[in-house]
Amino acid sequence: MIENLLTYIIFTPLLGALVVLFLPQSKTSSFKWVALGALGVTLVLSVLAVTSFDASVEGLTNSEDQLQLVNKAEWFSVELGSLGKFSVDYFVGVDGLNLSLLLLAAIVLFIGAISSFSIKQKQKGYFGLYLLLSTSVLGCFVALDFFLFYLFFEFMLLPMYFLIGIWGGPRREYAAIKFFLYTLVGSILILIVMIGLYNSVYDPVKTGMEAGVIENVSEASQDIISNIQLAVQSGQMESENIVKSFNMISMADDANYLPDSFLGKNSYGEIFGQSARWMAFLALLIGFAIKLPAFPFHTWLPDAHVEAPTAVSVVLAGILLKIGGYGIIRTAFSFFPDSAFHYAWLIGFFGLFSILYGAMNALAQKDLKRLIAYSSVSHMGFVLLGLAAMTVEGVTGAIYQMFSHGLISSMLFLLVGVLYDRTHDRGIENYGGLASKMPKFTILITIAFFASLGLPGFSGFIAELMVFIGAFKSSTVIGAIPYWMPVVATLGLVLGAGYYLWTLQRMFFGKFWVKDKAWRETLVDLNAREYVMLVPLVILIIWFGIYPATLLNLINNSVEGFTQLLILSVE
Amino acid sequence: MMLLQSNMALGLKEQIQGISADIAWLAPEITLVITAVLLLIYDLIFKENKSVGLAAIAFVGMAFSLALLIAGWGNVDGDRTLMGGMIRLDGAAVYLKALFSIGGLIGLMMMQRSKQKEKFFRSSETLLLFFGLVLGTFLMTMSINFLMVYVAIELVSICSYVLTGLFKSKRNSEAAMKYLLFGAVASAVMIYGMSWLYGFTGTLDFTSNAFAEGISQVAVFPLSLALIMCIGGFVFKLGAFPFHIWSPDVYEASPTPIVAIFSSLPKLAALAILFRFVASLDLAVVDWQLWLGIIAIASMTVGNFSALWQKDVKRMLAYSSIAHAGFLLVGVLAFSESGATSALFYGSIYLLMNFGAFFLIQLFENKEGQTSFNSLRGMGSKVPYLGVLLLIVMISLTGLPPVAGFNAKLYIFSSLWETWQIGGSDILIWVFIFGLLNTVVSLFFYLKIPYYLFFKEKEEGLNMVSDNSIDKILGTILVLPLLLLFFKSDWLLNVLNSINFAP
Repeated sequence: MIENLLTYIIFTPLLGALVVLFLPQSKTSSFKWVALGALGVTLVLSVLAVTSFDASVEGLTNSEDQLQLVNKAEWFSVELGSLGKFSVDYFVGVDGLNLSLLLLAAIVLFIGAISSFSIKQKQKGYFGLYLLLSTSVLGCFVALDFFLFYLFFEFMLLPMYFLIGIWGGPRREYAAIKFFLYTLVGSILILIVMIGLYNSVYDPVKTGMEAGVIENVSEASQDIISNIQLAVQSGQMESENIVKSFNMISMADDANYLPDSFLGKNSYGEIFGQSARWMAFLALLIGFAIKLPAFPFHTWLPDAHVEAPTAVSVVLAGILLKIGGYGIIRTAFSFFPDSAFHYAWLIGFFGLFSILYGAMNALAQKDLKRLIAYSSVSHMGFVLLGLAAMTVEGVTGAIYQMFSHGLISSMLFLLVGVLYDRTHDRGIENYGGLASKMPKFTILITIAFFASLGLPGFSGFIAELMVFIGAFKSSTVIGAIPYWMPVVATLGLVLGAGYYLWTLQRMFFGKFWVKDKAWRETLVDLNAREYVMLVPLVILIIWFGIYPATLLNLINNSVEGFTQLLILSVE
Repeated sequence: MMLLQSNMALGLKEQIQGISADIAWLAPEITLVITAVLLLIYDLIFKENKSVGLAAIAFVGMAFSLALLIAGWGNVDGDRTLMGGMIRLDGAAVYLKALFSIGGLIGLMMMQRSKQKEKFFRSSETLLLFFGLVLGTFLMTMSINFLMVYVAIELVSICSYVLTGLFKSKRNSEAAMKYLLFGAVASAVMIYGMSWLYGFTGTLDFTSNAFAEGISQVAVFPLSLALIMCIGGFVFKLGAFPFHIWSPDVYEASPTPIVAIFSSLPKLAALAILFRFVASLDLAVVDWQLWLGIIAIASMTVGNFSALWQKDVKRMLAYSSIAHAGFLLVGVLAFSESGATSALFYGSIYLLMNFGAFFLIQLFENKEGQTSFNSLRGMGSKVPYLGVLLLIVMISLTGLPPVAGFNAKLYIFSSLWETWQIGGSDILIWVFIFGLLNTVVSLFFYLKIPYYLFFKEKEEGLNMVSDNSIDKILGTILVLPLLLLFFKSDWLLNVLNSINFAP
């Protein structure tokens, strides 16, 4: 049971989707329970995965030995003429880099399913697509084979397109296609690099099996692998025995690049007169930065958020954006650490710019949901800044920020959804003094706002603190980004406090006033279902603000292994 | 004649004996001819209710030719030059012919399921032309001699002109006329180019050493001119830029089963000719990669951008087939063993998704009598199963996972990357980047179909499509391979790896 845990986590929602598909249309009320049940099981299994995770395992993140809960089986392997053999594996596993995000995804998807109970039309399609989306999101976080990762990464666009386009707001069609096209541009850039990468990387174990050095995978000890790598690097391995590979862990190890390959560390491949590795790094970076989203690729986000139904917004902000950050860590930084160092300044700068630009845009918004969407752009900037710092604290901060923002932004979008359900209006200036009419709602939104602006005691504070420590240390430890970047970034915190407190004052304090008289009746305080979604999030946000060690212990060793890789490549 | 010079030494008697011995290898083609004759005789004998008999003969004939190809699969070891150096039978030719037979069967099946079924089967004329077209594509895949190439291409073209205009409406006639004029000019230019090449080299067999030696001694400018004229004729059949202008009109006006055939069989056959032809050209003598690279980029870009504005599904698919012609050319550009394999893979997947798209569109056309996007409004909620099948086909045409269109694109661009990496022309990296970015453009118009099916509300006064289980099953048979070949693309690739390609 426990060794196949990740496989169960990925495919339980898919099973749920099939159940929804085959249930007759007349059983309308059962679809949501199927979805909730499937995602409940997923959540329980994910918690099980976290508790069974051995946090004491150390090692560089380019070694398969430090992975846990690994499932690996050959999916297909083909021979394509002069391209040679290559194999695609079903390969999933967790380490400290993706464990927290897997947990986050399971939590947010479950809460999103509760929130989806308010969907009343075409429920069969909605819950089927929601479960498909869940499978591909969960799969994306644990897939360690690039082909598999790309499958999940691309496939999530389709359900998302339909979820926004059919159940969204008035401009849903525009928002859906814009979302799809923007992210597809990113995916294509990633695909380009993927083609280059798998043509440059071989799988030492399978090459050994092909050459007859070993009989099966279990025989592959570290010594044998080193010998095979040595043989390939020195050109002694017959070229027809070399098996090219999509393995993302192998791709992070220079020893697995073919000696004359285009993207290998010691090759001098050039595209348009630039180092091919630099170009490949940039393509991956932009591809995932669109998803993150970072300035200037963020313009799809406000549209998608505003038009998407509440639960889809929650999933979008809570998880989908994190795939961008995770992708940068797992692919761009891991495969090309030397290029990452070369472009650290640029990454830090765009992170900084996203922080300030997102915050200033948020300040100017009239629509509450748009405001939160722009605040997401701002908060995701911290992820880039932390990564650009290339220090242990910075990277930890980036991962912590993704986890914490996943919880906080989910809560914020749920709260906006609560208001929207009652009045079908999100204009900030259309409300005033809501505190007197909806006191409990006001308490929760105040908590969420304070958590989001980084008040100590909430998880956001820990994350941003670590990013700042990491960014300040960067110039002395590794020299990736200069001092002034974190200094200027603190402005983002001030602006964050500005737009949240101002919104709080305009909408919730003072004398009760609403634009439409009819709303006086409809504006009632939270109901039981809404408590069920919101209270767990509040508890989690506070828990991870007071006991950050819960998460930090889990991810610490992997982050150290990861930064070790970065530092090794610079030396 | 020069072309028989090498065989002259054998004497006429031996030659004729050789040719008659070769006839056994052409059993599939002969089956097609016999079927056509049987259709004609049946048509003459019976006066009333001919459609069932004609359909039966056509299906059995096509299936028999497919069976012969599959049965003879193992016998094609190495390559055979047949008919006095006119044609060459290798593994790739047999594979393509089998693929075309399958395409022919699907085409006949589409005619059966069409609303205009009576028109197709009321007499033998449509079927005769249809079999002529398939025979022409069979011959195209094997031709290695300019004369044979010309005859095969003309056989396909003339059948196509008549098929376009067969139903005698005003639109049909206009499209057929345009097609004929374009085709005539393209053929004339091509044969003019061929005559130059014959003059340069003294041989019509473009795979012979004499041809390669001959063209290496000609000045670059006249040689380039001759080659461009010649390739122009092939590109016309491929339907690629700049010889694509006929296709949208022809596609819109012709009956859907015929369009499905037009957009797949002749294209892949032209690809086979191009493969054999460029194999005889030395890159050091002429930079054909540059020409074909430009044609590929232009086809993809022009096809995709023009498709954006279309209001009619068939017209949109016409432009999409122009873009796909560009993708097929990528396989020729990645001229290597892996390039040939991945081009065949792409071609097979393209054939499947193309027939899938036209078959499903025809179901909607049957009800509504037209194929505008507007007529698809809100149909998705009425016939969700067919809607999802159409969505899968569109995703495959775009080239996204989890459908085989993605693998096809991945393999063909991997081969291109490899060819570039080992020192190909600089145009290749541009084709690589443009080709993949074109996916984004194409997504926009392919998604218009699911957009109208699922997002738009039903319009008043439109007939709703009802689905019956036969259509569902046939649609599933066409679409299921697309999904299976994503998850297990090695099934098809192993078959393709086992066949030999001797350009």
